[in-house]
Amino acid sequence: MRKKLISMLLCATMVATMATGCGDSSGDDSKPSSGANSEANGGSDSSGGAGGGSSETVDLRLWGAEEDQDYLQQVVSNFEKAYPDQKFNIEIGVESELTAKDTVLTDIEAAADVYSYASDQLADLVRAGALAAIDDVGEVLTKAGKTLDDVKSANAPDSIEAATLDGKMYGFPTGGANTYFLYYDSSVISEEDAKTWDALLAAAAKAKKKVGMTLNSGWYNASFFYGAGFTTGLNEDGTTTMDWNGTSADGISGVDVVKSMLDITSNSAFIPIADDQISNTIASGDLCAVISGAWDSSNAEKVWGDGYAATKLPTYTLGGKQIQMAPAYGYKFEAVNAYSKNSGWAVLLAEFIANEESQKLHFDMKKQPPTNSNVLASDAIQTDKAIAAAVSQGDFGVIQSVGQKYWDTTKTFGEMVAKGKIKAKDDAAIQKALDNLVDGVTAPLS
Amino acid sequence: MADEKKSTAAEAVSGFFKAVGGFFSSFGTAVAKGDIFVKLSLLWWGAGYVRYKQYVKAIIMTALEAGVILFSVFFASQYVPKFGTLGTVKAEMIFNIDTMKNEFNDYDHSFMILLFSLFSFVVWFVAIVIWMKNMTNVYKLQLMEENGEHINTFKEDLKLYIGEKFHITLLTLPVLGVVVFTIIPILLLVFVAFTNYDQQHMPPSELFTWVGFSNFITLFGGGGLTATFGYSFVRVLGWTLVWAFFSTITTYIGGILLSLLLNSAKTRFPKFWRLMFVITIAVPQFVSLLLVRNFFADNGIVNTICNNIHLTGFLQDIGLVSTEHIPFLSAPGWAHVMIILINIWVGVPYQMLIATGVLMNIPEDQLESAKMDGAKPFQIFAKITMPYMLFITGPALVTDFVKNINNFNVIYLLTQDVYTTTNQALANSQAQEVDLLVTWLFRLTQDYYNYKMASVIGIVVFVICALFTLVAFNYMIGGDKEGTYQ
Amino acid sequence: MKVKKMKDKRPSTIIMHNVLIGVLAVIWLIPIVWLVCQSFSANPGINTSTFFPREWSLTSYIKLFHPDTVAQFPQWFLNTFIVACVNCVISTLFVLMVAYATSIMRFPMRKPLMNIAVILNLFPGMLSMIAVYFVLKTFSLTNSYAGLIMVYSASSGLGYLIAKGFFDTVPRALCEAARIDGCSEARIFLQMVIPMSRPIVVYTVISSFLAPWMDFVFAKMILNAGVSSKYTVAIGLYKMLDKSLINNYFTQFCAGGVLVSIPISILFMIMQKFYVEGITGGAVKG
Repeated sequence: MRKKLISMLLCATMVATMATGCGDSSGDDSKPSSGANSEANGGSDSSGGAGGGSSETVDLRLWGAEEDQDYLQQVVSNFEKAYPDQKFNIEIGVESELTAKDTVLTDIEAAADVYSYASDQLADLVRAGALAAIDDVGEVLTKAGKTLDDVKSANAPDSIEAATLDGKMYGFPTGGANTYFLYYDSSVISEEDAKTWDALLAAAAKAKKKVGMTLNSGWYNASFFYGAGFTTGLNEDGTTTMDWNGTSADGISGVDVVKSMLDITSNSAFIPIADDQISNTIASGDLCAVISGAWDSSNAEKVWGDGYAATKLPTYTLGGKQIQMAPAYGYKFEAVNAYSKNSGWAVLLAEFIANEESQKLHFDMKKQPPTNSNVLASDAIQTDKAIAAAVSQGDFGVIQSVGQKYWDTTKTFGEMVAKGKIKAKDDAAIQKALDNLVDGVTAPLS
Repeated sequence: MADEKKSTAAEAVSGFFKAVGGFFSSFGTAVAKGDIFVKLSLLWWGAGYVRYKQYVKAIIMTALEAGVILFSVFFASQYVPKFGTLGTVKAEMIFNIDTMKNEFNDYDHSFMILLFSLFSFVVWFVAIVIWMKNMTNVYKLQLMEENGEHINTFKEDLKLYIGEKFHITLLTLPVLGVVVFTIIPILLLVFVAFTNYDQQHMPPSELFTWVGFSNFITLFGGGGLTATFGYSFVRVLGWTLVWAFFSTITTYIGGILLSLLLNSAKTRFPKFWRLMFVITIAVPQFVSLLLVRNFFADNGIVNTICNNIHLTGFLQDIGLVSTEHIPFLSAPGWAHVMIILINIWVGVPYQMLIATGVLMNIPEDQLESAKMDGAKPFQIFAKITMPYMLFITGPALVTDFVKNINNFNVIYLLTQDVYTTTNQALANSQAQEVDLLVTWLFRLTQDYYNYKMASVIGIVVFVICALFTLVAFNYMIGGDKEGTYQ
Repeated sequence: MKVKKMKDKRPSTIIMHNVLIGVLAVIWLIPIVWLVCQSFSANPGINTSTFFPREWSLTSYIKLFHPDTVAQFPQWFLNTFIVACVNCVISTLFVLMVAYATSIMRFPMRKPLMNIAVILNLFPGMLSMIAVYFVLKTFSLTNSYAGLIMVYSASSGLGYLIAKGFFDTVPRALCEAARIDGCSEARIFLQMVIPMSRPIVVYTVISSFLAPWMDFVFAKMILNAGVSSKYTVAIGLYKMLDKSLINNYFTQFCAGGVLVSIPISILFMIMQKFYVEGITGGAVKG
């Protein structure tokens, strides 16, 4: 009603500038609206009533990745069947968990009621107030016959921990093992070769094939540093911490890690692949091994056929020692928008998408690695090569918690390594580049 | 109409102030010399019309006045008082299990306060103008009555709007559109440049507030939070200007040459050839440019071909390329040149169409006499064709330059997600070598929610464009050509 | 066309001349040919090894007309068409109205208004995008075609200069005569000036009709519900090149591009004459 008022008045006054008339503008003025935010609290004035089978239709918007659309449609229809007394109008939109933060933060109030996001976005989303804390609304889960503790115990403890910030849980884990590992063509590379970069590259060179990895992304290139004991972290104000320009807890200097990286990139059997080109490059058939995630399993299988194999990341050589690369290891969560107008039902829907049944369906339809302990234990999971490789990294994978400033700067750093802009011989230049990197990553937010 | 031809920016400004001055003085006269009803109109807008029996107008003005007052009391009063702080109450919510909904406190939304305050200011500004205009109108009625002239009925007044005052009928809606969708957003942008609206202060969950000139100081290298912002700004501005210059000139000259080529008597099937070139602009830019981006990708088709014909190897040998592929769109230098070349590809056919139209009208006698004198084709081009083209399309050249400064599409579609800078200083302020000011601004808002810096850059872009246009217009052409043919 | 009457007519130069044009045309058409070829490729991803697809097929076109959750081309086409038509009507009206008022009529604020318009027109819409978004949100117009149409057409009046240039060439005496005959300004506008200005009307109609087919930035921002069936052609096709989709949808993107380009090319062909006359405005008549 306030909006109508604005437009009417605007219309009336502007027209009157020109001294023509449309005089009935004041007609709607008699209903003053109070409170600065009728939009946001518009829901609250609907008068109580039993939540369960209210006759009102509940409007919900759900966002999921493009490739998950048919899966979500099925889950939503299951959800509607699970609550036959309630009328729903659930609209499914496309927004991948990888880009959810960018879209949500542009206008939180316009974002979907329920959306999924990748664990590295947690801190930024929480700080912007975009996520409803499940603990605050958890009592609604009784409608689904559960408690929050039931949900927590049904999923892998790491996944719950990753969804928790300052003691509050911000979303239900739906997908695990969001990480990258090594795919290889076992007709070219033996299981033994796949264990170290040196053997891998040698075998590839012999077969005149390439080994590919994305370096110009902080998600991938951090694996070298994490492996050597370096860390990244997040301060309370949203700035990122990083120690890559110093010496790690394992006594390894950052400069040496970069030198090892440069050894690999300068090998002619290595090919750096831009972030969004991995699938393309696999399809081109030039590769015999590549570092990527579960989403490329069907691509790799198509190209390599019977030779298709997957295993954990290889080790790299640093000063004569072998160092295990440690990947960023993340989860996918189903979140509830803090500004949802139907937060109760939104929580129930999000939980439904995260329950055992849905996770199993998700794995069956889309090969999504689950977090639910029962689904994880099932035979189908245990025998899937890609998921087995991904899950095997759970022990040394690093849950990457970084802020916004991390991404562009590490991307540039990776590009410098990939393009050979810094030379392995020039210690000072490497140190300078690392210092710049840390400066950029740890800079204040704005 | 010769006088109009020489109008310059300075005269335009002084003319504007004269008009404003006149408006105020007639208002003053009306207040000073008006009778009691005219004076009463200061308070009750419809008073004067009642006195002179224009009842419909009286009702309209009264209703308007009531509207403004109601607007102020019930709407503006919620926002304008908070304009100084942009809000103090943060959002808090409690979940209500009975309604299954979140309940919010009565929190402040800084952006809404800013927007609606601004909106109220615009409404009040307009209301004051109407109020003053109303006074002069009423006073005019008084004078007419005193002189015994006929006072229009409402019907007659209405008729004026398809007659003498038809321009008001015509302009109302377009001006309304411009105010709401151009002027208010621009003002908003200007205000945001003086706040700390960024990722840490994002409504609805957080509040932002005024910070004075600190964002401008940050941009112009005054240290501030991000030390490399000033550095990046200079780099990006430099490329923006270089790009605007070359993209404008190359497509302009290319278009003229192509149209001369096509329109020459030696050309067989000119219409067919022209169509071949026009097809490129018929494909929407986001299709053609995204396509070209994949065409020239690091592992794209062109690189495959270059590899097969050993061009890549040759370039590696002479040291132009250090990677295994030609980095058409992924290394500085290469990318800069490629972007300009690709822009020629998109832009020349369009300029060719325009040039064709203009060249058709080169005065024949000039060409004839030049040829009589034995001038070579190149001399004709340099002495007659080009000056004529410049005369006709000079203003368009200036507009093109400004448009290229803000040519978002070409740069964004060709480099987004493809280009990665290796300059850490640029990366630390989220810029790239191939960024224009607009694309940098776009990334700052889309990926970093750094609205305050984006606004500052926006203002700078606007000032650059405006200055350039004013100077160029003053030098190149003495005002517009209206009336030349009348 | 004066330039034609150059004297040199030796066959060798004529051949050279036409070969040169041919070479240029080929360079200009290579990417377009690639677009068409890719759209007929059987492999749905990008083909990076050969210029022509290894296997030809119509599958991309067939898939385009059998919508899945990602690609709903017929729906997008319809959406864009509706937006384009409404935008076309409003924008054309606005442009002609402003052009008439500033060109034919004389009123006190004319010059200042024109100067303000010139300056405002310099301001790229991109810069104020976020602000425009929130203005629309205030009126609950985000996620609606009405909002999109408003963004495209509301400020279209600022682009009046070309049309004004054209109206300036309408002989002033004609208008004066009509006024003396007692014609209202409205009649002069509708029954005299507009019919005389066919090229500029056509030009304005085409360019405003084309805008929604080309724009993806504003459309992406305003239609932000993420619901595929509500997209315009531009956003729909743009999203097909998403990281996770490009391998399955690249040829469909090409096919969509071809299908969008065909009607636009035809429009261009039919209107080329008007288009040139329209762009160059009054200059042509000089």
